[in-house]
Amino acid sequence: MVSLRAYILTRLLLTIPMIFLLLSIVFVVLRVMPGDPIKALIGLKAPPDTVESLRRQFLLDQPLYIQYFDYLSDLFRGDLGISIYTAEPVINEIMLRFPATIELAISGTIVSVVVGVLMGAYSAHKHNTIADHSFRLFSMVIYAFFIPWFGMMLQMIFAVQLGWLPLYGRADIYLEPTHITGLYVLDSLLTLNFSSLINSIKHLILPSIVLGLVLSGIYIRLTRTHMMETLRQDFITAARARGLKETTVVYKHALKNAFIPVLTMMGLQFALLLAGAVLTETTFSWNGIGTFLLQGIQNRDYPIIQGIVVFYALLVAAVSLVVDLIYAYIDPRIRY
Amino acid sequence: MSHGKMGVSRLVIVGVLVVIIMVAAGVGYWYSLEQERLRQEKIKQTIIIGTTDKITKLDPAKAYDFYTWEVMNNIGEGLMKYKPGTTELEWGVATNYTVSSSGLNYTFTLREGLKFNDGTPLNATAVKWSLERVIRLDDDPAWLVSVFVQSVVVVETYKVKINLKDAVSFFPALVATPPYFPISSKAFPANAVKDVTDGWHGPYKVTKWIKDEVLEMEANPNYYGTQPKSKFAVVKFIKDAVTLRFAIQSGTIDVAWKTLRPIDVSDLKTVADLNFTEVPGPYIRYIIINTNRTMHSTAWPSTDAKFKLVRQAIAAAINRTEIAETVFMGTVDPLYSMIPMGMWSHTDEFKVKYGDANITLARSLLTQAGYSETNKFNFKLWYTPTHYGDTEADVATVIKKNLEATGMMEVTLDSTEWATYAGEWIEAGTMPIFLLGWYPDYIDPDDYTTPFVAVEAGDYGMGTFYWNATLFDILTQARTKTTIAERTALYRQVQKTFMTDVPHIPLFQGTLQAFALSNIKGLVLDATMLFRYYLVYKE
Repeated sequence: MVSLRAYILTRLLLTIPMIFLLLSIVFVVLRVMPGDPIKALIGLKAPPDTVESLRRQFLLDQPLYIQYFDYLSDLFRGDLGISIYTAEPVINEIMLRFPATIELAISGTIVSVVVGVLMGAYSAHKHNTIADHSFRLFSMVIYAFFIPWFGMMLQMIFAVQLGWLPLYGRADIYLEPTHITGLYVLDSLLTLNFSSLINSIKHLILPSIVLGLVLSGIYIRLTRTHMMETLRQDFITAARARGLKETTVVYKHALKNAFIPVLTMMGLQFALLLAGAVLTETTFSWNGIGTFLLQGIQNRDYPIIQGIVVFYALLVAAVSLVVDLIYAYIDPRIRY
Repeated sequence: MSHGKMGVSRLVIVGVLVVIIMVAAGVGYWYSLEQERLRQEKIKQTIIIGTTDKITKLDPAKAYDFYTWEVMNNIGEGLMKYKPGTTELEWGVATNYTVSSSGLNYTFTLREGLKFNDGTPLNATAVKWSLERVIRLDDDPAWLVSVFVQSVVVVETYKVKINLKDAVSFFPALVATPPYFPISSKAFPANAVKDVTDGWHGPYKVTKWIKDEVLEMEANPNYYGTQPKSKFAVVKFIKDAVTLRFAIQSGTIDVAWKTLRPIDVSDLKTVADLNFTEVPGPYIRYIIINTNRTMHSTAWPSTDAKFKLVRQAIAAAINRTEIAETVFMGTVDPLYSMIPMGMWSHTDEFKVKYGDANITLARSLLTQAGYSETNKFNFKLWYTPTHYGDTEADVATVIKKNLEATGMMEVTLDSTEWATYAGEWIEAGTMPIFLLGWYPDYIDPDDYTTPFVAVEAGDYGMGTFYWNATLFDILTQARTKTTIAERTALYRQVQKTFMTDVPHIPLFQGTLQAFALSNIKGLVLDATMLFRYYLVYKE
C-alpha cells in the first residue's frame, strides 16, 4: 500500500516537469513563428492604434520572458488565459467542447475494442484459416481508411439515401438535453428525457462506427498476436485437458490473459482520442475539442493552443496513471 | 419461512416490479410521443438554416466578421438598415436624421417606446452608451466608430447627436453596421466584451445558443416592425461543406447558406426539389502588386515607367473567364474594376483597356519594358492556401499559366498561411505580387478604393505601397461630396487611374448563393451579404 502511494505520488510529481517542458517548447515555437495573430484576426483595415491596443491586451507587446512568466503565474492559479479569437476564457472554451470529445472518445473506444478484440481473438483461435486471413486483411485495410471519405460514404448511404441515421451533429433540433454534464447521453438519462436519449444515441452511431472501426485494426492485430502466444501456454493445455469447453478456454481464460497489453493500448488510444478526433469531428460536425484546436492553430490563437496542450498533457498523464493502476489490479504479478 | 412461501414472495416482488417498469415505460412512451408531437408542431413553424460559418462573438464591440453581423441583423437593429434585396438604406430604430451644413453633425430621432429584450429602454442614452463603449473597448471593429466619431450627445430622450471628426457622406452606411447598434447597458458589461443573447432589439430574440452547434431564435413580440414570417428560426452550424450539401439534399435543413463548394453548387442545381438563389456578392478578389520597385530584387524593371508597363502587361495577360469557369465552375463573375458590379460608379475599366488574355498587348508592353523570350520577367506569385478556401492554389495556377502564355514571363508560385500573410508580410512588403480578397465593411465605393492608396508616401496601402497625391485628393473629395452624381464622377476618375497605374488587378467578384427546399419562400439575398431569416417561411 505504501509503495503504491509512493508510486502514485512519484508519477504525479514527474508530470509537473513534463508539462513545464512541453508548455515551454510550445510557447517559444508559437512566438518565433512569423506572423502576427492580432493583424491576422482583425484584418488589414484596422488602424495601427487598434492593433497596438489589442497587442497590449494580450501582452504581445511585451518581451518574450515577461509573456512567459506572466503565463506561468496565471497557470499556477489555474488560469489558462483568454482566447484572442473569441475573447472567452480558454478553460471555458475547453469545458464547452470537451464533453462532446469524451462522448465520442468513449463510444469510439467501445466500438474499436469490442470489434477489435473479438475479431482478434477469433482470428487467433482459427489460426491459419480463411477467417484468420480475412480478419488480418481487414485489420490492415480498415486502418488505412481515410476517415473523412469513410464517414462521407456512411453519411451518404445511411443518412442521405436510406434516412436511417442522422447525418451530423449531436442531436436534432429541439432535442438537445438540458445541460448538466455536457454529455448528451448522460444528461438525457439524468433528466429522464428519453426522446433526447434515443436521439443522442442515434447521433453517436455513425461517428462511433467510423472512428471505432478504423481503430479496431490495431486491436485486431494486437489481440491476435497475444492470444496466439497465450494459447500456446501450458495452462491452456491443462484447461483443455480438464475437459473445459473450447470457447471457455479461449474466450474466458486465454483472452483474459492476452488482454493486458490490449488494456495498455486502450489507455493510450483513449488518451489520443481525447485530443479530439479532428477528422471525425469535422465530418460529422461534432463540436469537440479537436476542431477547436485546429481553428486555434489556423488563427494562431496562442492562448487556445497553449491551454489545450496543457490540458491534454494533464489528461494523458492522468489516463496513463489510471491504466497502470488497472494493470496492477488485473495482473497480480505487477506490484509497485 | 418455508422455501415455497419464499418462492411466492419473490415471484410477487418480481411481478410487482415488472408491472411498475411496464407502467413507467408506458407513461414514458406516451410522454415521449406527446413531446415529439409538440416538437413536430414547432418544427412546422421553424426555418432551419445550415451554414459552415460560425458566430465569433455576440458583442458588437468585438465581432468583425460578416456572419456574426448577419446574426446581429436578425436579433438586433441599427439606427438605419438596408432595404432587403437592395443596397438602399431605410430607417431602423431611428425615424429621421438631420445633418448640419458642415456635414459634421448628424442628429437622429429615435422611435419612441422601444425596449431591449431585457426590458431596458432603447433611447438616446442607450445609443450614446453603446457607441462610447465600442470606442472605449477599442477591440476589432472599434475603428469603424473611433475613426469617424468625435463625440455623441444626448439631445433629448429620443434624440441623439453624433459629431464626426471629418465630414463623410457615407456615414449613414456606417451607422447601419453592428458596431453602431444600440445595445442594453444592463445586459452588456461596460468594460469587457461578452457574448450576450438578450440585450438586443430586433425581429428575433435568441432562446438558445450552443456555440458552434446551434442557435435558436423566436420572434420578438416587442419588435416595432413587421413580425418575422416564421415564428422560430434555427441555425445549425455545420463544420464542412460536404455535410452542408448532404444536409440540404436530405432535407435535414431548409436552407443551405454559406458556403458550398463550386462542384456541389453545380450538382445541386440539377436537383428538382431544390430552389437556387444567386445574386452578385460584394466580395472581390484581386492581385496586389507592390509598386515600390526599390523593395524588390535588382533584376526587376530598372525604372518606374518600365515597372508600370510590366504591371499593365500582367493585367492584359490574365484570363478571368478561365479562372471563373475552370476553378469556380461559373459560380463567380469576372471583374474589371475594384468597385464591384452592381455598385453605383462601377465601370469595366480593365476590360476596356486590357480585355482578357490579351497576349498581343501583354507582349507589346513587356517588349517596351525591355523583356523578351530570352530575357523573361521573373517573379514569385504568392497566395494563402486556406483563408479563401481550398480553391486558392488553383487560382494561382491558372494565373501562372495565363502569364507564362506570353512567353515573356516566368512565374513561381509560393504560399504561406494567413497568420504570416496578413499578420506580417503584407505590411512588410515581403511579397511583391500576391492574391488578396476584400469583404466590405460598409457598402460604399470608398471602402473599395481608399484603403488601397497610401495615406502618405511609405504607407503600405494594403500592400500596394502606392502613393498618388492627386488620387488621394480625389478620394478625399469623394468622401465629402453629398450627391451620388458628384461622387460617381470622382470614382470614375479613380477607376481610370487604377487602370493606368495598376497597383492591383481585379480578378473576379463572388456571388452569394443559397439553396432552399421547394416549399421555402421569402429568401432574399443582396450585396449586403445579410441573410434575413425573418423574411423566410414555409409554404
